[in-house]
Amino acid sequence: MEIIETKELDKVENFLKDFDLSLEKDVDITLIAVEDGRIIGTCSASGNIIKDFAVSSEYQNEGVASKLLTQIQNRLFDKGVYETFIFTKPQNRHIFEGLGYRFVEGSEDVILLEGGLANVEKYVKNMFIKSGLSSNEKACLVMNCNPFTLGHRFLIETASKENEEVVVFVVEENKSLFPFDVRLKLVKEGVKDLKNVRVMPGGKYIISSATFPSYFLRKEDVRLKAYTRLDAKIFGRYIAKEFNIKRRYVGEEPYCKVTKAYNSALLEILPSFGVEVKVVERLKVDGVKISASFVRNLIKQGKIYETKKFLPSTTYEFLISSDAKDIIEKIKRSDSPH
Amino acid sequence: MKIVRPAKAGTMESNDIYIMVYPNENGNEIQLDSIVLKQFGNQIKKVIMDTLNELEVENALVVAKDRGALDYTIKARVETAIKRACE
Repeated sequence: MEIIETKELDKVENFLKDFDLSLEKDVDITLIAVEDGRIIGTCSASGNIIKDFAVSSEYQNEGVASKLLTQIQNRLFDKGVYETFIFTKPQNRHIFEGLGYRFVEGSEDVILLEGGLANVEKYVKNMFIKSGLSSNEKACLVMNCNPFTLGHRFLIETASKENEEVVVFVVEENKSLFPFDVRLKLVKEGVKDLKNVRVMPGGKYIISSATFPSYFLRKEDVRLKAYTRLDAKIFGRYIAKEFNIKRRYVGEEPYCKVTKAYNSALLEILPSFGVEVKVVERLKVDGVKISASFVRNLIKQGKIYETKKFLPSTTYEFLISSDAKDIIEKIKRSDSPH
Repeated sequence: MKIVRPAKAGTMESNDIYIMVYPNENGNEIQLDSIVLKQFGNQIKKVIMDTLNELEVENALVVAKDRGALDYTIKARVETAIKRACE
């Protein structure tokens, strides 16, 4: 048997059919295990996610998986990817644990394991130490702020009034129209006057789309539910615990299906980790419930001036500055919902 | 020896160990996962630490994924990874 890298993806696709898997479009590397000219196993990687892993049933327990995993890890390592993640079904947990992967969290539909340098406990501990925050009880918000609106400001203000200490995690994944550094900066500037509020990057384990388990869950709704529940559990088990977070504030979500599902996962799961979830009604201006997507829509239509009443002055001033030019162009051209 | 870059050695195959070495800020540190952690975890860590001391390494984070390697294998894999990380 030999392990080789392949570009003949249609053959791999065919092989994967028997396992009810399909090769995802975004894979960077695909390896196959070949015996007598036949594919007997495969795995792929996309960024730092190892996926589409399968070995023919007649060759299982013969070390094919460990050879594939070694090779793909070596290739990723040589590319400078030192942290790897695997999403799989709960019944495969023991296989990957036997191959040196660590269980992070999971639900009945999907589990996340990590390997290499990745270490959620250590990472979150470091995040906390670097933050310099006290070990007192805290409230928390997780926000994308794409861009930071008066609606976000209202939510944070509510938390700030009702709690001694508040942490705001800004989603770090750079998949939004406003880049992460801009989003973070605008939140920081927008809540500067709230002395008990700390704004910081959300890091790798809070809503990171790199860790979206998409390949083995067929239906969109099942997939969405599994993803939101996984994120909620990771938050409860690692982040809330380390930061001593006892409350999480979320905005009521009338529009977006994804956020709605996420809110209900948080409401269902976080209390079991001792975290209360508070849903706050959205702030209205002129009868409009403020949302960042509404603001982006105005920008898209070229109505920058009309965004003024929905935004803190810090965000608005950024929008009319020359620094925002490229972002505005991108929004006008984009059809992305985020 | 001083660790200057990440390096690896070994495989994930049965009876072997996969060693990854990274520069570390706070001395030597070992993160071990093993199928025989309960029985031999401390012994494996000792072999790794002894090897680091022998090579006079003082700034290594060693991530080890063990699948039942014998002490000699562990020592050899660690030595190789360290030498690759120092060159």
